[in-house]
Amino acid sequence: MRRIPKPEPMSLLAGALAALVGASLLAGSLPRPWTAGLSLALGLALALGGHSHGAAACIDRLAHTSRWAGLNAGLKTTGCCVLLMLTLCCRTPWPPLGLFVYTALLCMAGGVGVRRYLGLLALPAAFLLLSAAALLWHWAPAPGGLASVPFLGGWLVLDAAGQATARLVVARALGALGCLYWLSLSTPLPEVLEVLRRVHVPGPVLDLAVLIYRYIFVMLDTAARMRVSAASRLGYEGAGCGLRTTGLVYANLLGRSFGRARVCQQAMESRGWEGDIRFLVRKKPVRAAHLIPFAAPAAVMLLALCLGG
Amino acid sequence: MQELLRFEDVSYAYELGRDALRGLTVSVAAGERVAVLGSNGAGKSTFFLLAGGVLSPRAGQVVFEGVPVRRAADLNRLRRGVGLVFQDPDVQLLAGTVEQEVSFGPMNLRLPENEVARRVDEALAAFELTEYRHRAPQYLSGGEKKRVTLADVLAMKPRLLLLDEPAASLDPAHARQLEGHLARLHEQGLALVVATHDVDFAWRWARRVLLFRGGQLAADGAPETIFADRALLAACGLEQPVLFRAGRALGLNPLPRTVEQLEQAVRPKGDRE
Repeated sequence: MRRIPKPEPMSLLAGALAALVGASLLAGSLPRPWTAGLSLALGLALALGGHSHGAAACIDRLAHTSRWAGLNAGLKTTGCCVLLMLTLCCRTPWPPLGLFVYTALLCMAGGVGVRRYLGLLALPAAFLLLSAAALLWHWAPAPGGLASVPFLGGWLVLDAAGQATARLVVARALGALGCLYWLSLSTPLPEVLEVLRRVHVPGPVLDLAVLIYRYIFVMLDTAARMRVSAASRLGYEGAGCGLRTTGLVYANLLGRSFGRARVCQQAMESRGWEGDIRFLVRKKPVRAAHLIPFAAPAAVMLLALCLGG
Repeated sequence: MQELLRFEDVSYAYELGRDALRGLTVSVAAGERVAVLGSNGAGKSTFFLLAGGVLSPRAGQVVFEGVPVRRAADLNRLRRGVGLVFQDPDVQLLAGTVEQEVSFGPMNLRLPENEVARRVDEALAAFELTEYRHRAPQYLSGGEKKRVTLADVLAMKPRLLLLDEPAASLDPAHARQLEGHLARLHEQGLALVVATHDVDFAWRWARRVLLFRGGQLAADGAPETIFADRALLAACGLEQPVLFRAGRALGLNPLPRTVEQLEQAVRPKGDRE
């Protein structure tokens, strides 16, 4: 039986942090009610979006079912890399923010729900928000700047310079994140690995990636079955017991992984494996129309860069 | 019948002091249908791994198509000629999509890409997997995974196919489907060797039975002979197949291998009553 999802403490914390950072980023540039409203909306979106469990499996499933999955993976990877570079060159927050919104909309057009997208954003968002908070607020002996809060005998001060830096950093990070999310939510990992193979990333690295990718799912499945079996024997009743069971499950998983690795190698050898893993790759032809989703934003960003953005 | 694979006094031990397989001498000919029976730890899986060229014998030798397997080139020939389907599909499935998965073996055979593509298409069509070609193995059901592992091995065009408990963890419908696939493969002239715990399946399907016990071959013969020896079966922890017993109890000759054959054999008597 599934439990009704409760708001999780982690999501609430991320939401509160998002609201605080949002307010700090906007302070002084918008009327106060607007700042408060927007910050609150941001905080709520993150708190309710929640952090997502089983992110690896979720990203993989979305990538396989995306409407953009038919596009040539080389084109997508190159396009996203170019957009990423342009994002990092921007000197004002607007073009990267625009790119973030654009890529998020593309993901949603590809079949990713808003709530799912927010859920997947929550993990990097926590890192991003903490860094932004550190950039925005600094300790000073006297009050000043746009806002100040008494702290440890001195003041935590928010000033315009810190705000400008934080805005740019957050915008660039979001733009870059948007590009990466679009690529990973529209391209199954095996296709990305094939692109890397073509640009001569060493074979052993890619072979390892193939195996890790495959066995993530095998291990997740085994772990899930072990957890269900432990739960059916009341293994998670109480915090101490739950911790002990979790430890046992992971220790057992390690043991099984070694055993499985041996059998998997036998299975590969029986199919003539001699040290390098190679698969048949069907070509996905690139058509002119496929270039538009990449060329259009790149052109806009280039224009913005030329105009001083 | 042309001999494909021969074991000559083969022994193997995973650890020192305890033989997993001891002094095995047996041969399999082209087009045979063999069931390998025995309790867990009897040596069935070790026999398969040796036959598939994954393990090398500690003593004795394996001969494939008349040539003893000694050098790396012989081993390569053995692995090409003998396909091994593992019991748990998850240890065999490797690639990100079904199509790539099936291409792994042919790519290892260093075939040209258009030939690999042709074999992949053929194998996918043979196991009704064409529509799943872009699916990831993790999103397939147990029966579908089993079909992919069969397509995997068939795409390498082996002459002998070894299947380790293929029906384990399959529901009855998928198990029936699997038997259909096995029948078709046999019609194509492939030699099939199936390890199983299911004596009813062995009776219905096999024309020869290898019985393993404690790392040794306890018996090798026609199903009629092996299943008639109750003492031997009991020593190996096995029972007589239901149809075999029913046929004997009714005094039928020949003994029915399928329920349909049994029905046909008893119908005239029923009509007379």
